[in-house]
Amino acid sequence: MSRSVRRRLQLLAVLAALALVATACGGDDSSDTTAGPSATTSTTAGGGGDATTTTEAMNDEPIVVGGSLALTGFLAPTAAIHKVAGDLFVERLNASGGLLGRPVVWDVRDDESVPDQAASLYERLISEEGVDLILGPYGTGTITAAMAVAEREGFVFPHHTASLTYAYTYACHFPTWPVGLKTNISNPNIVYDALEASGNPPETIAFVMNEFPGTQLIAYGPPGSDEGGAISEARKRGWDVVAEINFPTGTSDWAPIAAQVAQADPDFIYVGALGVDGPNLLTALDAIGYAPRGHFYQWPAPGPMLGAPNAEGAFSVATFEPHAPFTDDPEAAEISQQFAEAAAAAGLPYTAFETQASVSWVAWEVLVAGVEGAGSLDQDAICDYLINNPIDTLLGTIDFNPDEQNYYGDLSVVKQIQNGEWIVVHPANVAKPGTAPIL
Amino acid sequence: MNEVLNQAIVSGLLIGGLYAVMSVGISLTWGVLKIINLAHFSFVLLGAYVTYELTTSFGWDPLLALLVVIPGGFLTGMIMQIFFELAKVDEFQSLIISFGIFIIFQSITRTIWSADFRRIGGDLNRYESMSFFIGDIAVQVAPLLAFCVAVAIAVGMSLLLGRTYFGKAVRAIVDDPEIARAYGIDVRRVAVILSGLATAFSATAGVFIATFQSLTPNMSFGWFGIVFPVVILGGLGSAVGALGAGVIVGVAAGVATTEWGPLSASLVTFLILIGALLFRPQGLFTRESST
Repeated sequence: MSRSVRRRLQLLAVLAALALVATACGGDDSSDTTAGPSATTSTTAGGGGDATTTTEAMNDEPIVVGGSLALTGFLAPTAAIHKVAGDLFVERLNASGGLLGRPVVWDVRDDESVPDQAASLYERLISEEGVDLILGPYGTGTITAAMAVAEREGFVFPHHTASLTYAYTYACHFPTWPVGLKTNISNPNIVYDALEASGNPPETIAFVMNEFPGTQLIAYGPPGSDEGGAISEARKRGWDVVAEINFPTGTSDWAPIAAQVAQADPDFIYVGALGVDGPNLLTALDAIGYAPRGHFYQWPAPGPMLGAPNAEGAFSVATFEPHAPFTDDPEAAEISQQFAEAAAAAGLPYTAFETQASVSWVAWEVLVAGVEGAGSLDQDAICDYLINNPIDTLLGTIDFNPDEQNYYGDLSVVKQIQNGEWIVVHPANVAKPGTAPIL
Repeated sequence: MNEVLNQAIVSGLLIGGLYAVMSVGISLTWGVLKIINLAHFSFVLLGAYVTYELTTSFGWDPLLALLVVIPGGFLTGMIMQIFFELAKVDEFQSLIISFGIFIIFQSITRTIWSADFRRIGGDLNRYESMSFFIGDIAVQVAPLLAFCVAVAIAVGMSLLLGRTYFGKAVRAIVDDPEIARAYGIDVRRVAVILSGLATAFSATAGVFIATFQSLTPNMSFGWFGIVFPVVILGGLGSAVGALGAGVIVGVAAGVATTEWGPLSASLVTFLILIGALLFRPQGLFTRESST
């Protein structure tokens, strides 16, 4: 091979690699974006024959809802659930006549789990793409970044999974993660009430908390405030806090943490867990021969938790589980079923329509209710409507309260793994019939 | 020493073996072939996902996946090295190109298995939390097996490099590839075989990861902060160094977690790395010019 040929091959290789990097990094941007006329057709036709017929009948310019999701990056495992939920919602919306008589297109971009990227995408969607509406991304960091853009541009901002409740002061942000403004107080107490309701509350408790800002808020309260959180609330109930361990996000070696938990040997372990922190801790505990007597996980990946050793009896918080009484409403049951099918088709290993999917769904419901209530796409009118009117959603009626930064109390419920399934066990009025918290 | 600290040291020692298996492939290709092959992170990931698939879809014992993963990794490594040779990729270019390959493989993994978490359930994976006790200290079997593999690789590579013609050829290539070629050494052949071995080692690490961790395509980014300190501490091109450095990183992180909390683990690891770069830039386990 001559030197010049080698040189050309070399350059080609570098160029190819760079192009592939660019494609791989930005590829999801196009593949998961449903923008433009052709995408419109594909999205609106997704509902099957009826949807196609309705779309043709609507015969109007689509309303474009812009947004981003963490289709890649560390938030991608959970964002995939929101993608399926959003696609299904838009499909059903279009099948039932669209919004203001027009079809709806969801232009969703990949923010790669990076807040800066989310902010620039929202800026682009609003300023350059001229989207009609926006919906928040997945995850605290990206939502916080995108909300600043929404506020600057005066766009109504429904969002589903932001955990730093105290930080959101924009008048037209509408949270559908129903955890209340002072979630650091309300959320642990909902859990603690469930433990009391078991008739066998703990006397000692250990806290194992992810350093993620949302779980730190739950544990300690807002930075610089003396509100406290899960730890101080436990002490108020007279429970002895025997261990307090904070670990970094992405911890891979759980053995030393497990050893400290086992040595403390608490009646109850409160794990400020994200994703697979729970299964990883349980595996490490099991490896050293320790089975927790009672344990709670803040925001776990529900599927992997079910397969973890000694997971039976684990608690978590929830908003929806696909069983009675949540599925007593036929529409809720139908949505659950359709979501499970869509999630399976998307290759998701755990297909239950539960907390993540339900809050995603409600964010869409809020957006649609705002537009229909305002009767237009005027952002101020939508914002006014949402602030001044109760909104019926899959999770019940939401009444955004400006005095509470648009939060409306903590509607979380408590679920537990019983007989290998997640079921809601507290409070009694939403517990699966015949069940109660067991400790 | 208290029981918790003892447990942390033993667990750190064992997890250090896994770190060594994850790192040895990159160390060899970087030190010997002058290829900083970031694609090894995707081979660890692929090894884990292939193990997941064989276990959950076909009911294989997770460790039986080694029968597929090792030859598959070896073949892939050889093909990749042939590509690098044909393209005459230098050290810097290899960083860019292999990062591109890494991203491509990560996207492929996400496309096949989705971005959601995957985990081999305990019913199919007896190694998940299998352990035995020495006194009060629990010894987890999956990391122990990884540690044994790391020792086998270190010993095997030492024998291979020190006592065989192939090893002499490798050392000659490290010293001066052109002179080695002039003495009749088939540099390309040696490089291709070494790349195959290195990739097989990385894929092997994935098998052990799948036995006791949940999988998601993005987890591979988290390995950068472990593997590079191990590679640099151990010395480029040294399998024994990778084992020693893996153990140091594992134990240091475990002790730091126990004594000062989990947040200090990375800090301690990188302090050790900075110290080594200042005082032993060639690595803790190599002489300046050795492999």
